[in-house]
Amino acid sequence: MGLVEFAAAKTLASSAVFLFITVLLIAAARRTATCIALFTAQCLVIMAQIIASAFLYHSSGVLLVAALVLLVKVLAIPYVLLRISRRLKVSQNVSASTTPAQSVFIVAALILLAFAVVQPYARAFALDSEMLAAATAIILTGGFLMVSRKKALMQVIGLLVLENGIFLAAFTTTFGMPLVVEMGIFFDLLIWVLLMGVFIFRIRETFEHVDVSRLRQLRG
Amino acid sequence: MTLWFPLLFPLVSACLLLGFKNPRTAVRAALGMGIIEVLLLGFCGWNVWVHGVLQQGKYLRADGLSLLFLINLGLIFVVVLGYSAGYLKHIPKGRFSSSRWYYALLFLFLFTMIAAYLSANLGILWIAIEATTLASALLVGFYNTKGAIEAGWKYLIMCTVGIAFALLCTIALYLAAVRSGIPAGRALDWTVLMTAAPGMAAAHDLLKLAFVFIVVGYGTKIGFVPMHSWLPDAHAEAPAPISAMLSAALLNCAMYALLRLDAITSRAIGASFTHGLLITFGCLSLLVSVLLMIVQRNLKRLLAYSSIEHMGVVALGVGIGGPLGLFGALLHAFNHSLAKTMLFFTTGKVRDTFDTLRMDRIRGMARALPFTSGVLIVGGIAIVGLPPFGLFVSELFILMAAFSRHQYLVAVLMLTAFSIGFGALAFHFLRMLSGEPQAAPGKAKLLASEVAAICACGVCLLILGLHVPLVFSAVLHHAMAVLQ
Amino acid sequence: MKLAISLIQVLLIVGTAPLLRGVVARIKARIQNRRGASVFRPYADLWKLFRKEDLVPSTASLLFRLCPVILFAATLMAAAFVPVLHVSALLGDRGDFILLVYLLALARFFLVLGAMDGGSSFGGMGASREALVSALAEAPLLLGLIAIAVVSHSASIASIVRWAISRAPFVLSPAHAFACVALVLVTIAETGRVPVDNPSTHLELTMIHEAMVLEYSGPSLALIEWANAIKLNLMLALLVALFVPWGVAATISPVALAIALLCYLLKIALLAVALAALESSVAKLRMYLVPEYLGTACALSVLAVVFTAFTR
Repeated sequence: MGLVEFAAAKTLASSAVFLFITVLLIAAARRTATCIALFTAQCLVIMAQIIASAFLYHSSGVLLVAALVLLVKVLAIPYVLLRISRRLKVSQNVSASTTPAQSVFIVAALILLAFAVVQPYARAFALDSEMLAAATAIILTGGFLMVSRKKALMQVIGLLVLENGIFLAAFTTTFGMPLVVEMGIFFDLLIWVLLMGVFIFRIRETFEHVDVSRLRQLRG
Repeated sequence: MTLWFPLLFPLVSACLLLGFKNPRTAVRAALGMGIIEVLLLGFCGWNVWVHGVLQQGKYLRADGLSLLFLINLGLIFVVVLGYSAGYLKHIPKGRFSSSRWYYALLFLFLFTMIAAYLSANLGILWIAIEATTLASALLVGFYNTKGAIEAGWKYLIMCTVGIAFALLCTIALYLAAVRSGIPAGRALDWTVLMTAAPGMAAAHDLLKLAFVFIVVGYGTKIGFVPMHSWLPDAHAEAPAPISAMLSAALLNCAMYALLRLDAITSRAIGASFTHGLLITFGCLSLLVSVLLMIVQRNLKRLLAYSSIEHMGVVALGVGIGGPLGLFGALLHAFNHSLAKTMLFFTTGKVRDTFDTLRMDRIRGMARALPFTSGVLIVGGIAIVGLPPFGLFVSELFILMAAFSRHQYLVAVLMLTAFSIGFGALAFHFLRMLSGEPQAAPGKAKLLASEVAAICACGVCLLILGLHVPLVFSAVLHHAMAVLQ
Repeated sequence: MKLAISLIQVLLIVGTAPLLRGVVARIKARIQNRRGASVFRPYADLWKLFRKEDLVPSTASLLFRLCPVILFAATLMAAAFVPVLHVSALLGDRGDFILLVYLLALARFFLVLGAMDGGSSFGGMGASREALVSALAEAPLLLGLIAIAVVSHSASIASIVRWAISRAPFVLSPAHAFACVALVLVTIAETGRVPVDNPSTHLELTMIHEAMVLEYSGPSLALIEWANAIKLNLMLALLVALFVPWGVAATISPVALAIALLCYLLKIALLAVALAALESSVAKLRMYLVPEYLGTACALSVLAVVFTAFTR
């Protein structure tokens, strides 16, 4: 076994753990900039995993997907998010409705839930249960972030985390969808983030705050 | 190339339209391009009709079901374009709020929906449906008021989350297909999946879970209760023609995706589970929306809840199943889009005249706006399902299907909901129409294009109500054949 | 021979403790664009303090003089548990990790007691804060160690380390990873570093450790400071031994021991740089946010314990 294969195998074996740690840290993070950095770190782990499996299973086509992840999720989206958060000039606090410790406890519970949920499917389809659990846990954490964080930007980050989980689920279960589909999904995601940026600025201009939980003009 | 032209032309026109700084020329250019696009669609539809199925390349495909929905989309789009010409007078300030942006986004919206109808691949279908949200979000927030921004935000967040679940289920379907031996590159193709579906029964549990996500995911976009909360907001805050587009074209587009996935899943694991789920969501949407219609204050919200009601009816038709139920459901989707377009067109005039859409503040509409009131009455009669309009026929079909398949409880629920909905609409409409107008109504000039747009909808509805033309019924049967 | 090695290990921890402090302070100074004091400065400080007169407040009892000695002794005992060069530490096979944790707790208890005995208001304030922090830090520390003990099927530090060395490198089990993060968080709190406490401030609003030792002087102060430095060294060495023990000698041979020493110095140096970087980049938490911080550590360690069920 060559050194590259060895490193690739180790990366694959340990990336689930790193993903768990990123979601826990995102839950504990207190500032939006930290959240963006952690999201980027999560995408980097996913990218490393994709590259590792490309080496292990000798499928160079997958490297293209890794390049896409690098371009869109590691570079473009964090850049846009950081720009939005800088230009917004509002406080960096994530204004969560749960304290960091509570969030970490909840996310820990979600991770366990994910483990419990994926066991039968992992067994039925002979999949890596740890990776599948990581994907599910990321999806659940994304949902949790969207529910518990009031800042508009944090909702965007929550959904991006959720999407990361779905992407990871696709990758671990099926080794990625066809390349055209992946490209389309990434394109949609990028446009979505830009649009959300437009709306966040409009919210700030019109309502003079970015607290989404206080948007309640429309009822009934 | 027959499929590429109608698909790409809206995209090209959207880019071109951004170049027209002058509002008047933008309107004219948009009208011209719209007519060309409809001609292209017609040509494409004719080819599909002649050949049965058209497949171009790996990713483009049109069959009977696409044809039906494309006809619907083309009709609604041209009508909306005609109505918009007179409607866009007050353009608010804002970066994306100008008539060239309006038309560019409208064409982009059209492009995404056509892409959904023409895609042969479930992954591309998902991408197109998500893109419809993206293309229409700025249109929903066009007015830049507090309400419009909130509605646009909610729309973007809720639909994207919902659609994300649909992506999850698309992946599950892909997994099931790959594991049953289909090569990975083709495992999302509609034809491949339809032929291979019976062999995927091994992944029974996974497919069941996937279908729940499908209904929740695409159901968010369709507006099924309880995922509907974006829908009234978006419909109420968007400009009237966009509300019509959302209600008449977008909801149908999401329904189309649901129909496709339902067909595959039903074939793989049997229809009892999938159709049971559709009936559950249909009943829930129907009942909750008619009850909420009673308490609405805003005219457009009222109409939006009525859209939820009718989407519930369509889901019930599909869920009850059988040739009769499916025929009724497809016809109902078509009819509803026409009637709802007509009703949303009246709201523009109402807002111009009374400066509000609050129904408790509108009095004496019959005197102030005779033509619009007439349209409101005709549209109201059509939408509650009274003869001689098309919705009567399609609802009758679905009810007959329910009785013939011994779904008595569903039938009773439907009848109850229809009567409540009728009561709610009659109460609200009659209150607006009667009485004396409070202030001197502003001059509201009717443009020929608006009248033509509204009349076109009315005439189609009337024809479909009196007798479904043989050609159209053949199109419907083609569409049904695709799903069965 | 084994005994000699064990004694050398204890002496290494105790002897290099002031040096580690000096190194961290120096790196911190460099990161902040200062020149900083010599890395041997803490030795000079200790030497100076040992030669000075020991002043005792008039209100204090005998306890005040006794506490620094007990503190130092307990910390020294704890240091004897941690393997540095060779897998078997002086007491590594005799006591388990619970004894280690409670030796540290004993040391802290007497420190708090002494601070309160001094009779100044700052002492009492610092003592109450220290009690709060240590009460909150105890659960994650213990739970994190329990998780590792369960995974490695042994309770004594030496056998845990042996098990860790025998494992293939870079195989992360979730239980291990969570325990590691939790213990790192706890270590920072336990040793009084930023963001929980700032070792280089005398600002009355925020100080914890410095408030407690305000009344001490001369040899007593020297003992306390030395014990504190040993504690930092020992916690870092413990982290190294539990999570990255590669290089530690399994046999007693000069080559193996030399490699072990080199590895140890390298790892501690890396940790010192990391610690200095962290302290320079993170702001100190307000006191009421410290429970939050330790709550996070606690959640992680609970998760680690639960995950031991998944790790076979």
